[in-house]
Amino acid sequence: MNRIIVLIALVVLVASVLMACAPAPTPTPVPPTKAPEPTKAPQPTVAPTKAPEPTKAPEPTKAPEPTKAPEPTKPSLRTKANAGEKITLFHFGDITGPYAGITTPLVGGFTDGVKWLNGKGGIRGAEVTIEWADTAGKLENAISTYNRFREKKPLIIQLYGSAETEALRDRLAEDKIPVMTAGVSAKGSYPPGYVYAVVPIYSDQFGLFIDWLAANWSKVKPAKGQNPDTPTVAIVTWDTSYGLGALTDESKAYAEKKGVKVVAQERFTMGAPDVTTQILAAKKAGANVIYTNTLAHGPAQILKDAVSLGVRDEFLIAGDNWAMDLSMLALASTASEGFYGVLPNLYWDDTTHAGIKEIEAQFKANNRKPAEHSVGYLLAFAFVDAMRAYIEKTIDRVGFDALTGAAVNETMAASGELKVMDGVITLDFGKDKRAPSKARIVQVQKGKFVPVTDWLTAPDLRPK
Amino acid sequence: MNWDLFPQFLATGLLTGGIYALIALGLVLIYKSSRVFNFAQGHILMLGAFVAWWFTENLGWSIWLAFGATIGVAVLVGLLIERLALRPLIGQPILATVMMTLALSQVLQGAVILFFGANQRSLPMMFPLQPVILGDVRLKLNLVLAFGMAMLGFLLFVLFFRYTRWGLAMRAAAEDHQLAQSVGLRVPRIFGLAWAIASVVAIVGGVLLASISGVETNLAIIALKAFPAVLFGGLESIPGAIIGGLTVGVIESLVGGLPQDAAFRALHLGDIAPYVFMLLVLLVRPDGLFGLKRIERI
Amino acid sequence: MALRFAGDFDTTYAHDMAVIRNRGQWALTIAFLVALFGLPFVASGEILGMINLIGISIVAVQGLNILVGYTGQISLGQAAFMSVGAYTSAVLVKGGVPFWFALPIAGLVAGLVGLLFGLPSLRIKGFYLAMATLAAQFIIPWFFRNVRADLFGGMPGLRVAPPTLGSLVFNSQETMYFPIIGTVVVCTIIAKNIARTRLGRALVAIRDNDLAAEVLGIQQFAYKLRAFFLCAFYAGLAGSLWAHYARAINPEQFSLVQSVWYLGMVIVGGMGSALGPILGTTFVRLLDEFTIQFSPMLSKIFPEAEANMLAALGPIVFGLALMLFLVFEPRGLAHRWELLKAAWRLRPFAH
Repeated sequence: MNRIIVLIALVVLVASVLMACAPAPTPTPVPPTKAPEPTKAPQPTVAPTKAPEPTKAPEPTKAPEPTKAPEPTKPSLRTKANAGEKITLFHFGDITGPYAGITTPLVGGFTDGVKWLNGKGGIRGAEVTIEWADTAGKLENAISTYNRFREKKPLIIQLYGSAETEALRDRLAEDKIPVMTAGVSAKGSYPPGYVYAVVPIYSDQFGLFIDWLAANWSKVKPAKGQNPDTPTVAIVTWDTSYGLGALTDESKAYAEKKGVKVVAQERFTMGAPDVTTQILAAKKAGANVIYTNTLAHGPAQILKDAVSLGVRDEFLIAGDNWAMDLSMLALASTASEGFYGVLPNLYWDDTTHAGIKEIEAQFKANNRKPAEHSVGYLLAFAFVDAMRAYIEKTIDRVGFDALTGAAVNETMAASGELKVMDGVITLDFGKDKRAPSKARIVQVQKGKFVPVTDWLTAPDLRPK
Repeated sequence: MNWDLFPQFLATGLLTGGIYALIALGLVLIYKSSRVFNFAQGHILMLGAFVAWWFTENLGWSIWLAFGATIGVAVLVGLLIERLALRPLIGQPILATVMMTLALSQVLQGAVILFFGANQRSLPMMFPLQPVILGDVRLKLNLVLAFGMAMLGFLLFVLFFRYTRWGLAMRAAAEDHQLAQSVGLRVPRIFGLAWAIASVVAIVGGVLLASISGVETNLAIIALKAFPAVLFGGLESIPGAIIGGLTVGVIESLVGGLPQDAAFRALHLGDIAPYVFMLLVLLVRPDGLFGLKRIERI
Repeated sequence: MALRFAGDFDTTYAHDMAVIRNRGQWALTIAFLVALFGLPFVASGEILGMINLIGISIVAVQGLNILVGYTGQISLGQAAFMSVGAYTSAVLVKGGVPFWFALPIAGLVAGLVGLLFGLPSLRIKGFYLAMATLAAQFIIPWFFRNVRADLFGGMPGLRVAPPTLGSLVFNSQETMYFPIIGTVVVCTIIAKNIARTRLGRALVAIRDNDLAAEVLGIQQFAYKLRAFFLCAFYAGLAGSLWAHYARAINPEQFSLVQSVWYLGMVIVGGMGSALGPILGTTFVRLLDEFTIQFSPMLSKIFPEAEANMLAALGPIVFGLALMLFLVFEPRGLAHRWELLKAAWRLRPFAH
């Protein structure tokens, strides 16, 4: 009997010791506004690779005033990293889920972007590291990943899916962590919070497309379409948060106002081998335009089935920005010819553009495969640079010691237009603006995305 | 109701049903011989699509050569699965075999991503993108030809079972394991053969489908539509598989497409029609059209 | 039974039946409960997050174990029944019902839906019944996706408010820990005791030989329905917890793969034991977490390796673990644990 009691006592003791040793004992739930301690390592040796930062004093002494002197009232602002200080950029991978085709190259682009950034001296001298985890397209994994990231008090997170963005919205605001997201449904980004869309939200993109359609109908209408006088749109799209993002009450009302009829929203399952039923239903509903909010396999299947049904010349077919990618071209091959889309970023074909040239050079330097030469790689690379820009702005404003997610969020919410990598993408955030609005309409011509308009501004169709 | 589109949806349904029937055939073959319901059939199909893609992309083979080589791989895969995963479970309760094939589906899913990546790929097209227009009905040529090939495959297997020694052996083993064993048939070997044939069937379906719609991990999902087909036709019946497959395809297409009212169509009844149908079959005639009746009264 | 001391005799039937038999075990139990509920005050949010996820899964798997482990019926629809609980709870809380009432109601509603899909058990069993639950796995998410989008939010789903109690808002790992672990403890105790009642023994009889059970006067159909109800009731509780923990639900979350994983957890843990689901869930979830955490680490070691090659490991590891258990230890971890306890009891004698 005694032996047992001793044993129990031992077990309890060991258990409590183990628990006490658990990382970061927080006796009570701490409000997340606390500033994270920068890792204090007061070694005077500073990394010598500082060349590309022209505004910086070369001395490794403390508090070097940058030449632009952000706020003279705070002389002790530390805008330079201590030796060994690191900044971690967090992002979610979604590389085994249904969006894998486009998000796998995103991970590569992000990695190479950070490598490139560190080559240029990191963020104000701090080495940039990455933390990411594959969520396999499962929201459950996304949430467990978020739980893990949240404890490390991220400055900023990059998300990819609409579903996880929508799901985490409220919690990001509670935890005061800003995110940039590629899943830009209206429901995720508005009302304004901590979610920043990297491209115009889907309903705005659809609105921009409607504008263009209404203005150019006589020029672009399909050769054999029915009701040739009125643009009549059927949306043929995926049955997901992302797929249903284009048609909202606001975007529908806007289309009607512009004299464009939206007659049907036909949905199909991701990966469905046949969408002829949906296309024929659209035809029956009197549509002469098909708009799709899908990517890769989605638009490709619509295009191929339209061709194989012999109705391709009865429809103008268009899609959102994620449809405009290598994966779609590869899957649709020749059927992609003439496909329209909304493209808010530059594409690899702009070979003379400085930003694209830089990314292309890095792509080659890292021996990436041709399959990764997609919009995912391009944009993720730019995302890294955008994060750098926002964090540096925040450092200039509040210094390293007060660098928190909340502070980065303040910077972003007041940032206005930011041309990332000379305009590979253009971000534009404001007090109550959480997504950029500029995009071009492009068309697939001989396997390339050729802009057919100048930069247009999307109507503001955020939910009321 | 869009009755004017009825012939159209009927034809589309039949063509899609052909693919379901092909998958159902694989399920029936395995169940008939070894009483295992293979939940991983869709994943074997997906694997086939990726393997064929690999042959065309990395070895530069033509699609038809890759098709042939993939069938060879299919035989190996089928034999391996039977030997490594299912044989240790002979004599175990049904839950064990169900779980084993479910586990197998997860392993195959992961393995495909591990070896081929999760990106969508495209196979070279086997048939041109062209319509077949019969009056008001518009069909995809590639789907029509794929349907034709599926039916041809069916015919081959029916002949195989009726007229070859191995076919006879398989029918005997399906009838009674012990009896088959006692007349000198090696029942485990027959299980292996059943798995090999079922894999071939799945992989033929996979390559056909992938050449129409692209190679991706979502291909596995299509096998779920074959489950109602198998139950309707009867778990042990090969003609049942084809009738079940076609029926499910037609039901799905008609229920999904016919209603004219947009609000009603927005319910997407076509998505679940096969499963509601399956529930009805289970309630009314659990053994299906041609399944074996096991009478057990309490 | 394991830690049974010399001199500890069963003097009454009650004592013979008791789960907790003597003062030593009482002390151990209380110490365990104190440690369990004291954990949020010492552990980091990251660890608590993992425990919370495990906890929610344990509730669902505990329910599934009643149907699969005790009654011997296969359900491929546990995730779908979870979604019923999740949506019920989310809608109720949106309508102003406090979470604490919504939780049991969610369980009840899910239980009733479970009964509905259990009805085919009147005619069919085993594999055929599994197919009926597979139908549930498609029909229920379809329902939430397409019917009454104004209420259920359609495909994008619903965002869910955190539970509140007075001025206390349960919106962090530390706070959600209490309702989750509370439910786990209550559910486990109930599951443990169900197995020791007439109901539990009837279920086991049906599993072992349904004909014999019927001959013995056990009304199969009635008991199978009860098992279905309980199974879905637990799923409903888990769904409600999940909804308020994840704070966002959509029909995509409650997938067939999810149901397969729950079944896997039942197998790995060991069927027909209240301990099984706890061990199985913890084992599988830790394996999964380990894989998720491990894949980026590996990509640092092998920078050449494709990122998604490593991400493929999740389903492979789960699938292989499940296969190995099916072949080598079909009775699961709980059985291993019993063997271990027996070995400890007999120490120093091997037999």
